[in-house]
Amino acid sequence: MGSLTGALPFPAFGCKVRAKSRVDYQNTSEGALVQRAQAGEETAFREIVERYQSKVFSIIHGVVRQRNDVEDIAQQVFAKVYVSIKSFDFRSSLITWIYKITVNECFDYLRKRKVRKLVYESDLSEDEVRRVDNSEPSTSRQVPIDATLARRDYLLKLLTRVSEEERMLLMLKEVEGYSVEELADKTGMNENTIKVKLFRARQKLVKAAQRLDRAPGLVAG
Amino acid sequence: MHGVVIESLEEYLSGALEPAAQRDIEAHLSNCRMCREEIRAMREVSQWFGSLRSEEVWEPAPGFCARVVEQVGERKAVPSFAGLFALDLAFGRRLAFASLLTLAVLGTYLVSRETRYPSGLSPEAVMAQEDSPAFDSASAQDNMLVTLTAYEY
Repeated sequence: MGSLTGALPFPAFGCKVRAKSRVDYQNTSEGALVQRAQAGEETAFREIVERYQSKVFSIIHGVVRQRNDVEDIAQQVFAKVYVSIKSFDFRSSLITWIYKITVNECFDYLRKRKVRKLVYESDLSEDEVRRVDNSEPSTSRQVPIDATLARRDYLLKLLTRVSEEERMLLMLKEVEGYSVEELADKTGMNENTIKVKLFRARQKLVKAAQRLDRAPGLVAG
Repeated sequence: MHGVVIESLEEYLSGALEPAAQRDIEAHLSNCRMCREEIRAMREVSQWFGSLRSEEVWEPAPGFCARVVEQVGERKAVPSFAGLFALDLAFGRRLAFASLLTLAVLGTYLVSRETRYPSGLSPEAVMAQEDSPAFDSASAQDNMLVTLTAYEY
């Protein structure tokens, strides 16, 4: 891959993208629900939890794959939603905001798990560390069971090299399958901005892969 | 990567490009090795995201919402340092005043200690005497040593 310094035609990305009016999330039924929650109404908060809990559980399970920890992480997510709901400014949809909190919480969990493991292993002998590695389902230092698991662990590592916003956009696009137009609606950004941010995020992932000496193409597929 | 590819990158990667635009991009890629290689790498990373999709439909265990509300309640019950001031403004003010007073007393003490010189000649004055003819006597040199040794900063 050559140097990627070609000038990005930003913000005038092209004339194909039509100007769209932004969605006014404040004046929707969801907006009314959020405003009630912001006013401290507990039933409104419960309604938010019930509306989005399945989605949050699925996101968490997709990233961390530890059944036992999914509910704990989901509880943290909704506790953060409760504490921060007053700062929600309706620039994006509520689910986009919750999605970002959820993804951040998942990566926070993975980081803490890695630190815990390193601290724990520092007290063990080499043989004991080997035994622990062989008994755990999926960790960064273990030889993965199959290529899918290897790719997943590797991708999670790459995703720690991009910003929170880039990570969220990549996941909304690639995991949830939203189009650029839908992403623009959900995030409140315009389509050109989304395209540029996604392009830069993809470049960072590829460069991070090259820096880790495992450029795309070298992982068994 | 060239603008023509960047502009349609997302649609190209997800296979949602119009046939005409698809042909344009492929024509460019067949002539541009740099774009071709970068697209190949991006497409490969893009395919890995499928492993983050959860195929299962998750329903939380009954009572999940109640447990969240309970956890939130516990968080609210734990007093924070900032809350100490918010709860009792008068106490906070008194604490700040006491801290300032302690700082002022300590500062005054340190400043007064710095400016207090010992009685007698300072080392600089004794060193100046070294150039005078009277300094050649053994007793003068002894005096200088005693002064320097006894001098307190």
